[in-house]
This record gives sequence, C-alpha cells and structure tokens, in this order.
Amino acid sequence: MMLYVVLFFTFFSLFLYVLLGGADFGAGIVELFSSRNDRQLNRDTIYKVMGPVWEANHIWLIILIVILWIAFPVYFNIIIIYLHIPLTLVLLGITIRGVAFIFRHYDAVVGASQVWYNRMFRFSSLITPIFLGMCFGTLVSGKIVITEDYSETSFAEIFMFPWLNVFTILTGLFYASLCAFLASTLLIGETTGEIRKLYSKKSAIFTIVLVIMGGLLLAYGLWNKMVFVQDFLSNAYSLSAVSLSALILIPLWKAIKEQHSLLTRFYAGFQVLLVIFAAVNTHFPNLIITSTGDINMMDETAPDSVIRVLGISLIIGGGIILPGLFHLMKSFNMISIPKNITGEDD
Amino acid sequence: MENLDYARLQMAFTLGFHIIFACIGMVMPFFMVVSHKKWLNTRKPVYLKLTKAWQKGVAIFFVTGAVSGTALSFELGMLWPEFMKHAGPVIGMPFSLEGAAFFVEAIALGFYLYGWNKLPETFHWITGIIIGISGVASGILVVSANAWMNSPTGFDVIDGNFVNIDPVAAFLNDAWFTQALHMTLAAFAATGFAVAGIHAFQILRNKRPELHKEAFKIAIFFGAVAALLQPLSGDLSAKDIAERQPVKLAAMEAHYETKKGAPLYIGGIVDEENKEVTHKIEIPKALSFLAFGDFDAEVKGLNDFPENDLPPVAIVHYAFQTMVGIGTLMMIAALIFFISLKKKSWLNNRKYWWLFAILSPLGFVAVEAGWVVTEVGRQPWIVYNIMRTSEAVTPMPGMKYSFFLYVAVYIILAVTVTWLMKRQIKVLNKSIG
Repeated sequence: MMLYVVLFFTFFSLFLYVLLGGADFGAGIVELFSSRNDRQLNRDTIYKVMGPVWEANHIWLIILIVILWIAFPVYFNIIIIYLHIPLTLVLLGITIRGVAFIFRHYDAVVGASQVWYNRMFRFSSLITPIFLGMCFGTLVSGKIVITEDYSETSFAEIFMFPWLNVFTILTGLFYASLCAFLASTLLIGETTGEIRKLYSKKSAIFTIVLVIMGGLLLAYGLWNKMVFVQDFLSNAYSLSAVSLSALILIPLWKAIKEQHSLLTRFYAGFQVLLVIFAAVNTHFPNLIITSTGDINMMDETAPDSVIRVLGISLIIGGGIILPGLFHLMKSFNMISIPKNITGEDD
Repeated sequence: MENLDYARLQMAFTLGFHIIFACIGMVMPFFMVVSHKKWLNTRKPVYLKLTKAWQKGVAIFFVTGAVSGTALSFELGMLWPEFMKHAGPVIGMPFSLEGAAFFVEAIALGFYLYGWNKLPETFHWITGIIIGISGVASGILVVSANAWMNSPTGFDVIDGNFVNIDPVAAFLNDAWFTQALHMTLAAFAATGFAVAGIHAFQILRNKRPELHKEAFKIAIFFGAVAALLQPLSGDLSAKDIAERQPVKLAAMEAHYETKKGAPLYIGGIVDEENKEVTHKIEIPKALSFLAFGDFDAEVKGLNDFPENDLPPVAIVHYAFQTMVGIGTLMMIAALIFFISLKKKSWLNNRKYWWLFAILSPLGFVAVEAGWVVTEVGRQPWIVYNIMRTSEAVTPMPGMKYSFFLYVAVYIILAVTVTWLMKRQIKVLNKSIG
C-alpha cells in the first residue's frame, strides 16, 4: 500500500520538476532566442514572475533523486552508474544556471559583468534540459550496456555511446522545446502589452518546433525499430494521451486569447501530465531498456520497513510543503483569477 | 593515484565547499532577522540597510549551497554507487526529512526576499525566522546520515546484503547527537567569527564604522556564545569516539602504544613509517582523562589494530590539532568580546579589531579540519566496520577528469562569490542612510 504512496510521490515530483523546472529552463531558452530589446523585457519579467518560487521549482529534482535511491536502490544504481557523464553535465548546467540567475539579480553593482551572467544563464538554460532529456532517452533507448567485464568492452561503448547518439539528442531537443513552449505559453498570462505579444509569438513558434521534434523523434525511432518507440506507437493509452495533449492546444489557445491565465496554466500543465503519462505508461514498470533486456523498477524495491517510513515522511512533508508552496504562489499573484499583473514595479 | 583516490578527493573537495556555503546559509539568516527586529523596534535606517545587505548574502549563499547540495545528492550515487545501493534505503529517512526542511527553507526564502512592503511586517519577519530554523534543521538532519556511517545501526548484514532494516533506529544512531551538536555550534562559531571579522576589518578601514559596529555586535554575539560552548561539545564527542571508534581516537592523538594513563600530545611530527611522534609536548595522563574521565584508564594504541584497518594517521592528527588549536583561540577571543562589553575602552583599541579581523577565516579552517578528522579518521571504511570505501566506488574509470572538472568549476564559483561579497561591502559603504 505504502509502495503506491511512494510511487505516487515519485511521479508527482517528476511531473512537477518537468513542469515547473521546465518552465524555468524554458524562460532562459526564450530569452536566448529573442532580440536584444526583448531579452531585457524577458529578464525583468521572469525575475518578477518566477523569482519567489524559483528555488522551490528545482528542489523537486532532489526529492525525486532521494525517493529513487531510498525506495528503488537497484534501479537507481543502474541510472547513476551508466548515466554518470550526462548527469555530470546536467549538474554543471544546473550549477552555472543557478549562480548566474542569482548573480544577475543580486550583484550589488550592475555593470559589465551582467553581460556574462546573462550569457551563462541563457546558455545553461538551453543545455541543461537537453542533457536531462538525453538522460531519459538513454534509459529507454535500449543502448545501455551492462557489464562487469571492462576488458571486453571499451570505455566509450559503456559510458559514451549509450547516451550520445541521434535518438538521445532528439529526446534532449524534444524536452528543450517542451520547456520553451511551456515558458512562453505560461508567460503570456503574466504580462500585458508589448511583452505579451512577444510571448504569444514565441509560444506559436515553439508549439510548431515541439510538434516537429516529437514527429522526428517518433519517426527516427520507428525507422530504427527501437523497442520503446514501437511499443509507444502500439500502446493505445499512450497514443490517446499524446493525441489528447495535441487536441488541448485548441482550448489552450482559446484561453490565451481570452486572457484566462488560470485556464492557460491548467491546460499547459495537463498537456505535460499527458506527455509524461504517455512516456512512462508505455514501458512501466520496465523503465530501463538495456541492450540485452528490460529492467523492472519494481523488482528489488527497498524492504517494507523502509517504504513505510518513507511513505509517512512524504505524506507529512507534502502536507507541510504543498500548502506553503500554494500560499507562496498565491501571495505573489501567481495564482489569481483573473490575471492582474499589470507591470507595476516596486 | 587510482580511481578510488580521485573519487575520494572529489568527494572531499565538493563537501569541503558545500560545508562553507551550507554553514553560512544556515547561520546568516539569524543575523538578518536580529537586525530586522532591531529595525522594526527602533526604525533606525542603519538596521534596515544592514538587513538588506545581509539578505543579499543569504540569497547568494542559499543558492550556491543549494546547487552544490544538488550536486552532492547526485555525487553520493555517482561516486559511491555500491554504498548507495545498500545504505541508501537505511539512511533514507534523514535525507527525505532534510529534503522537506530544505523545501520549507526555499519557500520561506521566497516569502522573505520578495515580501518587503507586500506582506504584513510581523509575518514577513517570521518568514525570516523560518529560513533560519529550517536551515539549521536541514543541517542537523543531514549530519544524522554521516553519523550513521560512523555508528551504523538499524540493520543486519547477511551475505553482503543489508536486511532487517529499521530506518528509525538508523536515523537515531548513537553518534548523531554529539556530531549534530558539534556541527551546529561549529556553524554558528565559524560564521559568526567570519562575518564579524569582515565588519571588524571595515571598522579598521574607518568605512562607515557606525554601521559596521552594529553588524559586528550581532554577528560576534552568536559566534562568541557558540565558541564558548564548543569545548564542552568537543569533550562529549571525544568521549563518544573513544568508546565507539577507538581507532579514530588513536589516530587523532597519534597514539601508537596501548597504555594506561596515556599522555596527550600537543603538536609533534608524525612518523608513520617508524610509528612514533617527535617534537611533541607531552601532558602526562591527560589523554586517558579526556577520553574516559579517568587518569589511569587504558587507551588502546594504533599498534593493536590490524594494519589494514588503520586510517592515514598523520593527516588525522594534524587536522585534529588544527581544529582544537583554532577552537581554543576562538574561545579566548569570545571571552575577550564578553569582557569588552564591560570595558568599553577596548573598543577604541585597534588591536581589538585586528584580533577579530585576523580570526575571520580561521573558524572555517577549523570546520574543514574537523571534517577531515571525522571522514579521513573513518577510513578505510565508508560504513564503519561494515563496508570499505574501496568496495563502494564507481566502476567507471577516469575519475581523474571528473575531479579536475569539479575543481575548476568550484574554484571559479568560490572566486566569483568572494568577489561579489566584496562588491556588496563596497556598495554598502558608499550608500547613504
């Protein structure tokens, strides 16, 4: 029973990280692909809109990692050994991005160094989600080589090629486009006037990019007979979920047009939920596909005593954190009906 | 050097940085809320100025602490996958609670940083207190996981697997209380002296002395109280280690021969080849007394432990001496501070301010030395007497490159943060009000 609570929180954290962390990364990507003037507007907007919850968005990743290692140690063990290099790159991206964000807003002197903070922020906003997407792609690519014998296989065959190939790069680009789509769509609801037009335009562009990336990913996987993609396309639930998330684009655009920011967020969040569901559902619980077979995350979970304590901790922790987070968002007008950020500064 | 050595160096290096960011992130919010309270009570602009300056410091150190902490949560698994596979579920409880406390801290920080002129004043101030309390709670919780590595409990080992796991017993392990107490006091002492020292230096330079004197008073008060209590906590730790990890105690003291009424060495050069200590000051029977509260107690020497269970003795001994030496200096400085509350004339003596300016970085040197004692002193074990560090390390070759990458990134990070702090102080000195 408690195992289900733990599983719920595992995917709940994954969902929130993909959604909130993703929107955060996306804001940097949007800024990267903007003109000089728009960049400044974007910089100020995301500081105002995301600043207060910015830290919290990224803690979901830590929660996810901690749950994985406590409850699914054998599964976690494979991830952490075989994704060592791409995860290091993710960490590097997170570090550069985190400090660049805080430096560009908290440096006492606003001077030439700002140029560097901004560059670091935008660049790491793009590469971090790409590497994150590559990590997920690697897990389901069927290319991980698990071996104890390091004399037979080369370093590159075990630790490089599985994560560095066309399929994983496409997965990475897909996730980065999803982030950019999310950020630009969510930011429309937060703004008025000139900058609002910018985000509407970006949102349209990134929707197209996202659909193209998704199509490329599936086409490539199908062409190369990848197990995960074949299973994905033959799984009725996953297919319906993806189709539904595409259909939601229609009411989403309607909500944006009517400036209904709460509905906009709801639809965008629901889309992400559907995409994650589609991806996870295809192969759950065999969420690692290696060159020789599947690895079931539900095999060799931690003993009941551990799961019980973890489940209780998560329920209590969630009970404290979620209302706090909700209150935080509410206090700074992140949850409001209808939207009322007009651009006044303090 | 081997892969294992580079993995250990990388862990030491990243933890060494994280501990500084984490200590400051834990303690500085308390300075900030005291100054904030003084502003609310007196409405003197100097306190508002100070609160806002410290708030920027808190934000910068929280983020650097958070990203280096995120990196560490991955590194535990990336560097020591076999350790995490077996021990992860056992020590999961403190980590999951720490995650929750950290989350609360991030939420409170969001309220605090963005709440000026938006939230009711008292509520706003309370969110500042929550930052501090949840920060200290995170620290105390995460130390439980380290304490478990020193006194592993709450499981049985059968055929190399950890079974019959009792996460609550593992969480409440024997070493937790003494280690968490020692670390919390160390964080307050080190941060208090570091911040006070920086402000003392500004007073010496005669830059806005009225503001820096207020800042000094707040910071040194926390630091001085902690520095006075720390020797007591150190004594508890020493007695605890003497009982639980006698080999670590022997390494700390470079104590080779098992003896009744063992002497305490101060200073000295450790000769690991010939197993002796030269050029030392010897205090008869003091080690027996400090370790067991009895001048004639027997203290087991390093020679009576199996050769392949010994930690590197010299490093542990020197680190221990450094920690105790600095701790003593800080305790004396704390006494000087409390006397100066009566003898106001001392405040006009430049030597007084020089003392604290010079002591500024030493608290953190002591913190690092203390972690070297506890971590290197536990070697060759990653889980004391259960799992060797060499059994836990990643099978991936080439840790050398990973190590150098981390060194480069963290050094750049440290230099930048230091430079930013200097800019903060410069702007603070120039501003009006």
